[in-house]
Amino acid sequence: MSKKKNDKEKLGNFTAEDAPTYESVLQCMRCGFCLPTCPTFALTGRERSSPRGRVALARAVAEGRLDFTEAVKEEAFFCLDCRACTTSCPSGVRAGEVMEVCRSQAQQQTPQGHISKSIRGFILQRMLPNPDLLEKSMLPARLYQRLGIQWLVRHSKALKLGPSWMEKAEGMMPKLDAPLRAQLPELTPARGEKRGKVGFFLGCIMTLMYPEVSRQTVRVLAHQGFDVITPKETKCCGAPHLNEGDRQTARELALFNLDLFLSQDVDYIVTDCAGCGASLKEYEELLAEEQGHQRLELFRNKVRDVQEFLFDVGLRTEELLPVNTSVTYHEPCHLCHAQKVSNQPRELLKAIPGIEFRELKEASWCCGSAATWGLKFSDESQQVLDRKLKNVAATDAEHLVTANPGCHLQLAWGLKQAGMKQDVLHLMELLGRATPDI
Amino acid sequence: MLDKNILEILIQKLGKEAVVSEPEDLLVLGYDSTPGLHHTPDVVIYPTSSEQVQLAMQIARDHKLPITPRGSGTGLSGGSIPINGGMVICLNKMNKIIEIDEENLTATCQAGVVTLDLFNAVADKGLFYPPDPGSQKISTLAGNVMEDAGGLRGLKYGVTRDYVMALKCVLPDGTLLSTGGKSVKDVAGYAFKDLLIGSEGTLAIVTEITVKLIPPPQDKRTFLAYFDDIRIAGAAVSKIIAAKIIPSTMEIMDKATINCVEDYVKIGLPRQMAALLLIEVDGHPAMVAEEAEGVERILKEVGAAEVHVAKDAEEAASLAAARRTALSALARVSPTTLLEDATVPRSMLAETFALIEKLTEKYKLTVGTFGHAGDGNLHPTVLCDERDADEMKRAHAFYDELYEQVLAWGGTVSGEHGIGIAKKEYLARQIGPGGVAVMKRIKQSFDPDGILNPGKIFVADGE
Repeated sequence: MSKKKNDKEKLGNFTAEDAPTYESVLQCMRCGFCLPTCPTFALTGRERSSPRGRVALARAVAEGRLDFTEAVKEEAFFCLDCRACTTSCPSGVRAGEVMEVCRSQAQQQTPQGHISKSIRGFILQRMLPNPDLLEKSMLPARLYQRLGIQWLVRHSKALKLGPSWMEKAEGMMPKLDAPLRAQLPELTPARGEKRGKVGFFLGCIMTLMYPEVSRQTVRVLAHQGFDVITPKETKCCGAPHLNEGDRQTARELALFNLDLFLSQDVDYIVTDCAGCGASLKEYEELLAEEQGHQRLELFRNKVRDVQEFLFDVGLRTEELLPVNTSVTYHEPCHLCHAQKVSNQPRELLKAIPGIEFRELKEASWCCGSAATWGLKFSDESQQVLDRKLKNVAATDAEHLVTANPGCHLQLAWGLKQAGMKQDVLHLMELLGRATPDI
Repeated sequence: MLDKNILEILIQKLGKEAVVSEPEDLLVLGYDSTPGLHHTPDVVIYPTSSEQVQLAMQIARDHKLPITPRGSGTGLSGGSIPINGGMVICLNKMNKIIEIDEENLTATCQAGVVTLDLFNAVADKGLFYPPDPGSQKISTLAGNVMEDAGGLRGLKYGVTRDYVMALKCVLPDGTLLSTGGKSVKDVAGYAFKDLLIGSEGTLAIVTEITVKLIPPPQDKRTFLAYFDDIRIAGAAVSKIIAAKIIPSTMEIMDKATINCVEDYVKIGLPRQMAALLLIEVDGHPAMVAEEAEGVERILKEVGAAEVHVAKDAEEAASLAAARRTALSALARVSPTTLLEDATVPRSMLAETFALIEKLTEKYKLTVGTFGHAGDGNLHPTVLCDERDADEMKRAHAFYDELYEQVLAWGGTVSGEHGIGIAKKEYLARQIGPGGVAVMKRIKQSFDPDGILNPGKIFVADGE
């Protein structure tokens, strides 16, 4: 998606570095199939807040008919990057990715104040790339629960958060346990008949906020017959950087993780975070200029979301314990749209003994979390969330299952606010309940 | 640039919410799905009522601003493009279904209701609104009315015109006109309603529509037939009609289209086949059984390579959905997709396919053809690159020659997309100077100042 470095020609009013290609915007034939799938267009009814409109804006910038204006920047960040438009586009246009690249243009073209720049740099370039620092900074949160909020308070300006974000962030923060990274052994051996060896990519949010989920993921994988290698040096996947338009740091992180995981003797690289999975699968494009094609392809071919992986290898159900309850499933955007993993989680759910699966209306419609979007646009996020909750309520299922920490935070908070009966479970937690200890 | 005073008046009369004038907004409200056309309006109005449309229209008239109505911008002939700038009136926020009348079997809704939303709403009450243009998920009802949109079910159920019972609209002089009603019969004076349907937004702006509903078919059967030669597919269509079987759907896709669609939907369409027909028969179960047998027999007689029956409604729906993506999917392979809308008497289908093949070769183009074969309505689509001037020239020559023959066969230059900007010259060829002159006089009597959707349908004097 980004322009080749060795051909630094400027495209219209984009800078040469990290700009959309002309082909990527010319591909849109403006049929509008994306319009009914776009949550922001549903909110505003404004063409410029639709995928077709955003691509047209990018095209106008590329053709020099429009400067990279404040409004273009606004749209780049108002886009949820949920990729529903990519799924709906018969022509193969990837409007979400065009906007992601435009976020990088925003950082290049619209100068920020010194303080905001340095704080943003601190978060994206110092904290996130360094798992130790990150975990230490979150450590006291286990004691105070609120420190995470204080951390956000300190950095709210840099993240440009919305009006009522603080209350929301506070409510969203789950009860924190000790980060998982330090606790997981380097090797968790397979149980029963061994089927292979996987590298587990433990994401930052997972280790910090949902350590119990990833503990279950590793347990389930081992029970399913896989040796699980969890490299302690794993760094952030780079998704937050792409999200904020810092493609340079994202590339550095991607290179590090690529080397780290290719040096492991594993058949697959598995993650239980849809955001990380989508990001890892896009290393191939992100690093196209930095790395040999063969290594990128090798890496790409090994990456699996854990739901996708277990479906592909076939879930061993003989030993599973029944979990007698009803569930519905919310599809994380970065799983169903970015990775096209949609049917597999449903099939896994149906394979767990005792589970009654109830389909959710508009299951693949975004929940309104979308990284920091839910805090930046808190009112809009609430509207997107309400639509989701209404559909959840209609299923009357006992649990809402999903497979991504961002959705997990948002949905759990929303259900609690609305006083609904459902709790949110990652699919691996549910599968963990069905997995015997022995 | 719009005069600041006009903007202030608009905001004062219509409210800030309804008036949009930021350059980035204007930039994205000057296109539809027609390739290569783009003009930027000076101001855009998002009305929420007929009264607001009236007010906007009056202000535009007072200040001599051209007005272009717009729905979702899915048109394929440039009908909603503000060719002279001015004011775009965007009706997609007028999206309420006002009433579903189960006693009279009608539905009344605002102009901007999305076609599929109406379909679903009436289906919940056990009723059926048949017109289903390819863009039904996005297109608005008023847009359908103004272009007289067709769709996949046109063969048996007709097009939008066949379902419109009443229209409320605002005339260019600012008055409200109500025409038609819920009465099944109505011969009171000139049939304004019928004149307005298909008028491409040049006579009035529709704000409210009442449509006829029918009971849905009780049963249906869906076939997918593959062919080694597209002309055999054409012959199959003609023979099925000649056997007095009217399927609800008889859609064709050629090899190029099959491959592009399959790239997107991945449902196992036959990439190596020259063409496929998607055929659906529906109605009373006994009739469906009889017609299905007839269709299958004819397909075998003419020499279809393979005939498959959809195993359930879900599979049938996925096939129809795949067909709806044809045009957009063709855009995968080239930056520009020039689409046409030639329609011939159904007995001429095989000849038309042969002609398209011949012209494709003659002008050295890549063409994907799909369309409503049962209606004789084809969409030969040139896959090209607007940056290649020579290729564009050849594409236009291709269509020129194609239309000449289509007209000679008694066909039409537009089955369902309208004339708009793109086909003005072809219309003149089809109906002659006398026909154009009458149409212009009708236009003049509705819109003497020529402010409503100028530059459409007719070649202007001196153009």
